[in-house]
Amino acid sequence: MNQFGFEFKIAIAEVVLHVFSKKTIELEAGYVPFLVDSSATAEIEVECFQGLPEVDFEALKLLFEAKNDEQRFYTIYEASGGYCFVLFDQNQKGIIQQIAYLNASFDYWKIYSRNAMALKYPMGPIIMHYLTLFTDAVLMHASCAFDGKKGRMFSGFSGAGKSTISMIWANAGSQIINDDRLVIRKMNGQFFVYNTPMYYVDISKKAPLNAIYLISHFPENKAKKLSGALAVSKVMAFCIQNNFDKSFINKRLEFFSDLCSVTPIYELGFVPDESVVSYIAENEKQG
Amino acid sequence: MDIQTLSSIKSKFVARQVAEELVIVPLSGNVAQMNELFTLNETGKFIWENISVDKTTTQISALMTEEFDIDEQTAQQDVEIFLSQMDILNKYNK
Repeated sequence: MNQFGFEFKIAIAEVVLHVFSKKTIELEAGYVPFLVDSSATAEIEVECFQGLPEVDFEALKLLFEAKNDEQRFYTIYEASGGYCFVLFDQNQKGIIQQIAYLNASFDYWKIYSRNAMALKYPMGPIIMHYLTLFTDAVLMHASCAFDGKKGRMFSGFSGAGKSTISMIWANAGSQIINDDRLVIRKMNGQFFVYNTPMYYVDISKKAPLNAIYLISHFPENKAKKLSGALAVSKVMAFCIQNNFDKSFINKRLEFFSDLCSVTPIYELGFVPDESVVSYIAENEKQG
Repeated sequence: MDIQTLSSIKSKFVARQVAEELVIVPLSGNVAQMNELFTLNETGKFIWENISVDKTTTQISALMTEEFDIDEQTAQQDVEIFLSQMDILNKYNK
């Protein structure tokens, strides 16, 4: 755990967040490589407090609940023209870990925490998700390999082989941007892939996005190019999002329509060995 | 699914045109629903966009014969097939 005094700045997908508090903030180690110079211009303010406020949840409109059969992860309410997030401790059922407020323009957070760990999971990923609504970006369940020329994203359901195919590309000399969670952002007309702070330490990385592969294990390497609405719907299925608001979904649909109109999208059945690297390279040559 | 039911749940989806087709995304608090988005081809898109509480299958079929080069019987069959395929959306009728 790292203590960072009263304020610091971090950059995620080149969006600078200014995190500040009247008390010391403890930061999970994975955020440290994303710290940037204090002179960087912040676009999002994150004000942190220790101690939880009294909130009458009955008076708020429930918008969204992230939960499974066993526990609640977080709940979102409408509040003062923005949003109120209630995050639960994953180790102690029913215990609130943080209460956070986000304004309607997605650029000012107020985070109230039980302790000094203001960005404790899942607060960090929630901030990242709303950062993508603030800017022209999406958060994806995906891995990405950059061979120095091309960035290839691999997405698929759990167990489809995202980490496996990343490892194969890494062994072939590619840099792995991340093998689980990525931001795609459009900058100056081009799409780029960025890693995000994880629970482990990794440097901040960026790569151009040149192709997206929707992967699954298969007895042979076989790629099929997708286009149009089918490509949009298949890629969008792997976007991490809270889709309780029509404007959020419309923004995503617009982003993915744009992305899929300029980026080749393939369904890829693959054999988990090095043969998939040459197969992809050859397949891309043939268009 | 009948037209009135589909009309009543249409507001629970967000649709966007991509080329001549439509991507339909459920508006839901459940992130897992993102695995349930689907696409409609040009014919499906036309029917979806013309579904409303005050329309009958015959009226939509008639509109289809004006829009596409098909006879009324084919149009009627297309509408019925479309509506039966929309049965998968029954879970949103709550």
